[in-house]
Amino acid sequence: MKQTVLLLKTLLLSTSQRNIYKYTADRKKKSKIVGGTIGTVLLYAMLIGYCILTCIGYGVTGMIDSAPVMCALTVSLLAFFFTLLKTNGYLFNFKEYDMLMSLPFKTETVASAKFLYMYVKSLPWYLSISVAMLIGYGIYAHPAVFVYPVWIVLSLFLPVIPMLIAAFLGFLTAKVSAGFRKTNIVQTILMFAIIIFSFSLRFIIESIFKNNQVEDVLEKTSEMTQNAARIYLPAGWFSDAVTKHSVLSMLLLAGVSALLFAVLFRIVGGSYRNINSALKSHAASKNYRMTAQKKRNAVNAIAFKEFKRLTGSTAYMTNAAAGEVMAALLGILTLIIGFERIVRIVIQDAPVDVAMLRPAIPFIIYFFIGMVATTVCSPSLEGKNYWIVQSLPLEKKTLYQGKMLFNMYLTVPFMAFATLCMCISAKVPAAETALYLLEGFVLCAFSTTWGCVCGVRHMRLDWENEIEVVKQGTGVAIYMLPNMFVVMGLVVLVVILGLRMDHKLVALLFTLIAGLLAALSYRRVMNLAKKQ
Amino acid sequence: MNEKPMLEIRHYSKSYAEGKKAADDVSLTVEAGDIYGFIGHNGAGKSTTIRAVVGVLDFTEGDILIDGHSVKDDPMACKRITAYIPDNPDLYENLTGIQYLNFIADVFGIGAAEREERIKKYADLFEITDALGDLISSYSHGMKQKVAIISALIHDPKLLVLDEPFVGLDPKATFQLKGVMHEMCEKGTAVFFSTHVLDVAEKLCNKVAIIRKGRIIAAGTMEELTAGHSLEEAFLEADR
Repeated sequence: MKQTVLLLKTLLLSTSQRNIYKYTADRKKKSKIVGGTIGTVLLYAMLIGYCILTCIGYGVTGMIDSAPVMCALTVSLLAFFFTLLKTNGYLFNFKEYDMLMSLPFKTETVASAKFLYMYVKSLPWYLSISVAMLIGYGIYAHPAVFVYPVWIVLSLFLPVIPMLIAAFLGFLTAKVSAGFRKTNIVQTILMFAIIIFSFSLRFIIESIFKNNQVEDVLEKTSEMTQNAARIYLPAGWFSDAVTKHSVLSMLLLAGVSALLFAVLFRIVGGSYRNINSALKSHAASKNYRMTAQKKRNAVNAIAFKEFKRLTGSTAYMTNAAAGEVMAALLGILTLIIGFERIVRIVIQDAPVDVAMLRPAIPFIIYFFIGMVATTVCSPSLEGKNYWIVQSLPLEKKTLYQGKMLFNMYLTVPFMAFATLCMCISAKVPAAETALYLLEGFVLCAFSTTWGCVCGVRHMRLDWENEIEVVKQGTGVAIYMLPNMFVVMGLVVLVVILGLRMDHKLVALLFTLIAGLLAALSYRRVMNLAKKQ
Repeated sequence: MNEKPMLEIRHYSKSYAEGKKAADDVSLTVEAGDIYGFIGHNGAGKSTTIRAVVGVLDFTEGDILIDGHSVKDDPMACKRITAYIPDNPDLYENLTGIQYLNFIADVFGIGAAEREERIKKYADLFEITDALGDLISSYSHGMKQKVAIISALIHDPKLLVLDEPFVGLDPKATFQLKGVMHEMCEKGTAVFFSTHVLDVAEKLCNKVAIIRKGRIIAAGTMEELTAGHSLEEAFLEADR
């Protein structure tokens, strides 16, 4: 345990912005750290504000009793998904593996310290959600004084079990793929399968409930708590500890978390060296024969380099290309099941005419396609190899154009495929389909250029692990949050306008707006390139 | 004198998932006090063997013993007495040099006075003391290499394993490192290192092994291998 704590402390120190600020003589770096910290504080404030408002919403609608379960489920779901996307970069195949493994650390010590590092780094986010919901709960439920410390202490345990489950799934994918020649490809495919399955779990669970005819029960707050607790026991333990003051539930949440941690890392430790050996070492095939070579212009050459960078990393691929895969799957699903049925599932049988949702098709697809643009991460991903592009006779604008071109190559085919599938299924007329394709294309351009603005403005080359810039980078957060909220807002707006205006006109209007935003973002990238 | 060899590689083989063998039935013995050179072309299997020796890489067949302890069965006992310097050390770049050295000293449980004395001794020797308070990310490749060397020497290892240790070092640091290697071998430490520089190997080592396509093609004392010729000639002859 002492060694685990020592390694954990060192891992935290080695990525601490405070440590860099304290010891660097680079003023530009210092001001970047200050800017980044202010941005992070603002994001925390937004998150806390949103969670307090959500809880106030529960209070106003008389559902405050469900706040503990909602808090437990929200934290657990976020912890599960974020860990799933990060686990392969943090637990396996990390940069300093050789250095750590040559030191007298047990394999389980290295693996558990890496897991605890993920936990400690993400804990402030989960605590912000939990404490904010506690404030809302405190205002409306007036709980006993001791509930406050119990809630906070148990919040420390809430993310542990979902993170362990996600880490175990990551371990399984790494172990299975270690037995294959194309380790990286197998690992990426397996991770995609798990992510997509996890996303569909909500609908699977709902369909189970519907088969049992309990929809009406779900509407009753107190019984909803029980149902949620029945599916995911730790949420029930958290709720019982807070609402029923159950000591047993407190002990169960803390005890099971600790027990699962010990068991998981005993299992992982056993195969850790074997998995990493397979992931980190590949034989050179040495069978290349010189053939005719293809000439590319500089922009295309950079785009090709970006393609190889994406496909060469499971962590980057699962984070940056998951949206494209999901959009394609959604397209296939709509063809098989039908647009109307899919919409009915999503809107929970609300009394809405499905035809009025047609103008929203490009935005529904963009919700997935635009989740993360590769242009947000790729400037930072140059990392220590940045010297290569810096030393080449290459203008910054060409470099960024290449990066943007690659994101277009990646997003446009998936967007076109998904749009066509949905339009066919929704029986959208040909002219309207063409307009939706154009709108989708312009949205892809907006995602690409806006992503590039965020990526270049918040470029960070001194990362230790690529996950730091792929998943946790300031650029990613600044790209994702407004993008997500704006898209959701636009979907509502487009549907409302679609009721009063011709659908083709609505599509044209939004194409123009997105086009203008893309052009502005592109100009900003070019200006940033000039300044560098 | 210790009766057990400090490093004994017994019929070690490493196969990749692709089915290719990176190392094939490698056997060699490094005694305490030896400076053992491991030479071969790029991709011959030197680094793969070294990474297996230091417990980083899993292997398929054979065994590797360090001071009588098996790397497979008792890796912790092996790592406590071994130090490894990779060819391109990945250090924690956002730590200062002194923070990193303290981390390594903590891992090996070195006392405060002892670590202070050793860090000072080697940092002065490699002329890096002034820079120890700076972030490693601000170091040159050679400076990083020097920090990695000091971190390897901090716990006074019985076996020092180095992968291309002279790459990136300035002439003075190269000279100092050779001196440290001699000093350690006089104390009974075994040094096992890979290199491309045959001149260095010839002047520094008392034993050499040549590896080609994963197999040891020649091994023995320098006198046995060279037999009146230069190591370069012996290498080219064996590699033919």
